[in-house]
Parts: sequence; structure tokens; C-alpha cells
Amino acid sequence: MLTIGKIAAQAALTTNALRFYEREGLIRPAAKSPSGYRLYGDDTLERVRFIKHAQHCGFTLGEIVELFSLREQKLACCGDVRRLALEKKLQLEARIRTMKAMSKALDALIAGCPDEDRPVDECAILGAMARSLKKATT
Amino acid sequence: MKVELFHSAGCKQCAATREALRNAAEKAVPGLVWREVDAAMELDYAVDLGVMSLPAVAVDGMLVFSSLPTPVQLGQELLRRASGAVRGR
Repeated sequence: MLTIGKIAAQAALTTNALRFYEREGLIRPAAKSPSGYRLYGDDTLERVRFIKHAQHCGFTLGEIVELFSLREQKLACCGDVRRLALEKKLQLEARIRTMKAMSKALDALIAGCPDEDRPVDECAILGAMARSLKKATT
Repeated sequence: MKVELFHSAGCKQCAATREALRNAAEKAVPGLVWREVDAAMELDYAVDLGVMSLPAVAVDGMLVFSSLPTPVQLGQELLRRASGAVRGR
């Protein structure tokens, strides 16, 4: 059995992060020590590493709960996990496209402001953004 | 009319309803083009259409069901489109 501190140290996380995982239903203590400290099974460390890796791949905590529940369902198969991974990939690709469009819009603004000595109230970037804001609200 | 079912290979939920959806679609609009698209193989196209979850259904290149419809829902939507109710959209 491991204390929350030991798991935090081995997984390179804070105890606050682990308590948050617990509140979200991702980990749960297996027992309590005689002095009332929560104790976790050895599998918790593996579970915490899984959570970190899944988060690194872009999964939210809610989605990770879904991945865990698939792991526990006898009728689930790899295809179900593949579908979730593919959905995540589609969402990430859509976000990348949006961010690329945002980056391109910034390129145009930066190119439109070659004179860095002008006073800020004549700033072409701020002016362009104010104009587009006006356009959006009318 | 072209109906595209975006799915993930090996997805049980997709496989279980695929045939029923196809039958409902072909019954609603005989002669339509039915295409099953593995989203992993045509990822860019799926993103173009705004597919974010699977399975999903597009009609004539437009995402119409972002999650799995029932065969009845799909049939009704295709009938509505075939009758011109959404012409020009």
C-alpha cells in the first residue's frame, strides 16, 4: 500500500493533483491507515501514469474516465478505444486548423504594422482589431 | 444524392447499425450513392466536413448527423431532402 505522498513522488505529480484525480473519480483509496491516512493499492501508480499519458495525448479527465470504464467492460474491445482515439484526433486536427487560421490572421496584422516608432494610438494592429470588432457588433 | 457514413474500423456501434442505416437510406431514396468512410483513412475530408465524433452521417458533402441517427431519423431526413424541403442549403 502506498500513501498519496509516495505516489506523488513516483509519478512526479503534486498531492493536490492526485486529490483532484480522486475527486474526479479517476483513483480511489483502497484502505485507511490506523492514523486515518488514505492508502492506495499498487495499481494506482500504474493508473496515474496512464492518466498522465492520456492527458498528454489530449484526452480530458472526463474522457479518461470513459477510457477506464471501457477497460472494465467485458464486452468492450480495441475498436471502441480506437474510435475514441480517432475522435480525439479529429478534434485536435480541427483545432490545429483553427489555430493556423488565427496565426495567418496575425501574420497579416504584423505585416500591416512595419513602423514600430509610431505612437500606440496610431497602432495599425490595434486599429485593425478595433475595426473588425466594430464590424462584428454592427 | 450521396450519403456518407463516417465510422471507425472495428467500432462495434458503427458495425451494428451500418446495415440498418443503409437499408433505411436506400428505401427512402432509391438509387442514392451510399459510401462508408473510414475516418482514419480520410481524416482531412472528415475534418473538412466538421466530423468530431463517430459514427456521423453527411449528405451531399454536408454533415447532417454529428452522432449516430436511428434508421427512422435518417430515412425521414433523406425524404425531406429529396422532396426539396432543404433545397439550396
